[in-house]
Amino acid sequence: MRPYFEKMADFGRELKKSQLKQTAKNRETLEAAEAEIQAQVEGVKNAGFPTDKINARGQMTVWQRIDYLVDPGTWCPLHMLYNPMENDEGTTNVIDGLGKISGKWAVIIGFDNKVMAGAWLPGQSENILRVTDLAKRLNIPLVWLVNCSGAKLTEQEKFYANRRGAGTPFFRHAELEQMGIPVLAGIYGTNPAGGGYQSISPTILFAHKDCNIAVGGAGIVSGMAPKGHFDLEMAAGIIEKAKHFKAQPPGTVATHYDETGFFRYVFEEEQGVLDGLKDYMKAIPAYHPKFFRVAPPQSTRFPSEDIYSLLPMEPKRVYEFDQILARLVDSGEHMEFRPDSGLEVYTGLCKVDGFLVACIGNRQGYLGKDYPEYADYPGFGGKLYRQGLIKMNEFVTLCGRDRIPIVWFQDTTGIDVGDAAEKAELLGLGQSLIYSIQQTDVPMMLVVLRKGTAAAHYVMGGPTANRHNAFTLGTVASEIYVMHGETAAVATYARRLVKEEAAGRPLQPVVDKMNELAQDYHEKSRPLFCARTGLVDEIVAIKDLRRYLTAFAGAAYQNPKSICPQHQMILPRIIRG
Amino acid sequence: MSEEILAPLAGKIIQMDLEVGKAVEEDEEILVIEAMKMETPVFAPCSGTIKEIKVKKGDDVEEDDLLAIIED
Repeated sequence: MRPYFEKMADFGRELKKSQLKQTAKNRETLEAAEAEIQAQVEGVKNAGFPTDKINARGQMTVWQRIDYLVDPGTWCPLHMLYNPMENDEGTTNVIDGLGKISGKWAVIIGFDNKVMAGAWLPGQSENILRVTDLAKRLNIPLVWLVNCSGAKLTEQEKFYANRRGAGTPFFRHAELEQMGIPVLAGIYGTNPAGGGYQSISPTILFAHKDCNIAVGGAGIVSGMAPKGHFDLEMAAGIIEKAKHFKAQPPGTVATHYDETGFFRYVFEEEQGVLDGLKDYMKAIPAYHPKFFRVAPPQSTRFPSEDIYSLLPMEPKRVYEFDQILARLVDSGEHMEFRPDSGLEVYTGLCKVDGFLVACIGNRQGYLGKDYPEYADYPGFGGKLYRQGLIKMNEFVTLCGRDRIPIVWFQDTTGIDVGDAAEKAELLGLGQSLIYSIQQTDVPMMLVVLRKGTAAAHYVMGGPTANRHNAFTLGTVASEIYVMHGETAAVATYARRLVKEEAAGRPLQPVVDKMNELAQDYHEKSRPLFCARTGLVDEIVAIKDLRRYLTAFAGAAYQNPKSICPQHQMILPRIIRG
Repeated sequence: MSEEILAPLAGKIIQMDLEVGKAVEEDEEILVIEAMKMETPVFAPCSGTIKEIKVKKGDDVEEDDLLAIIED
């Protein structure tokens, strides 16, 4: 298939000096917003004890462990700001992301041992489930850096039990293993109770000499046999037992290496554990990239930094999506699928690091006379119309047939509404796209470039497609909500306005409430809110988007569950005609 | 040789940075039309000098209305 993929059609245009000058303010605004997000990320990184204090104890921090473990330049963090239960600690207390270890992609997650010795916190299990889902979707190993002191006991009611509670990850580890996806664990420190199961549930355990894992740790063992109250005599007994168990905690290496053999290896040095993980990653099943690449990897034809000039921070501002995409894919080349149909949507094949990926994105702006064909009003990109929905249905289905991973780009205000749109079957076609995605068993990722709105956020491969969406990225221009705040205020208060007017009462109190609601929508759609609540898996600097795309493509093709030979693909033939 | 700049869509001109005699570069933004709550920039189709301006800020325009003429 070299004639199809080695050299595809060029797209995108070089930016002129005047354009760079005219968009300088937009660039500054985006970069300033990215600096604010980065400041929040630094806050999470610096949570808990300072690095020096951890190092003085002879331990590395989780960040130092990740830095040592992951191949340079490959770390793509996720969920850095995820904190859905608004913990005072500012974190769910696990750090995770995609990265290469010994040249192979893995999902990596570690407890932050700077914060309460890596305790379970509210929201953490949901974070972990996103991570196990990611390993499952990409079919790549999950590598744990376990250092977990167990539940934060004063808040256990928020996370211990429940359907997706702190025990659920252990079932997910079992699920991954049953699917043939290994879970490797480097184990440090004291890991009682929940920490014990975090340690025992992975596939192969690499232990540091000072670690321990146990059903119950020193604290719980010294306080067992409740009597219904406490008194001073009991307190003295607790002190004595606590001292004993601190000196000799249950589940040390002496037990779980020498006696049970749960620990496959024990290492004297912290770095030795990480070296052990690296060594095993060399043995993980993975295709050489040449097996699936359709062309040699190429850099982008135009700088990705140009996107700071091309993506307007101002949400009403129209821009050219193709210009942005041309700066994210190899050599600014593509094969566009049905360019004359469904004008509001781009669908096409591109290359990322030499791998074939399918790209879908909202085009912006006026769509020309007589479009959409079923309506007497003009069509604008960002909205989805009949042709665009049909085109995406076809494209996604063919990507499934050809086993091509999909990258979605959203900047959508929703699916067209009104009686003409209903007669044009848009409700049914939107759900058809959901059906098409659900039966297209390939990894997908999403970038919410600006707006993710209404049902269009669902049907365009959003995180609600959680069997297929590996992860979702936002930018500092992202905003996600069911509808614009002002629209919501009208929908909520229109009838009230009519009633108040009919009753002769002043309208100002209702107007004030409308403004309050619109402002609330604004605040609860910002990038920081989206990251904290998990509406996106990470807010990524625009200059880093290409790196995440590269990680996604490399991981998706590392060990795919299903293969279509390149010369048996049908989509490239349909495009060429 | 001169080239006409036509309105790509119907709407209201909400920004305009044009004057006769001004040199513009191809793809330079010269005005913005608002329609359907969206702001659509209009770019110079070629490099040259503004020879004539047919509209002003605040004007409503129809699709394909003549906005200005650029002379090479």
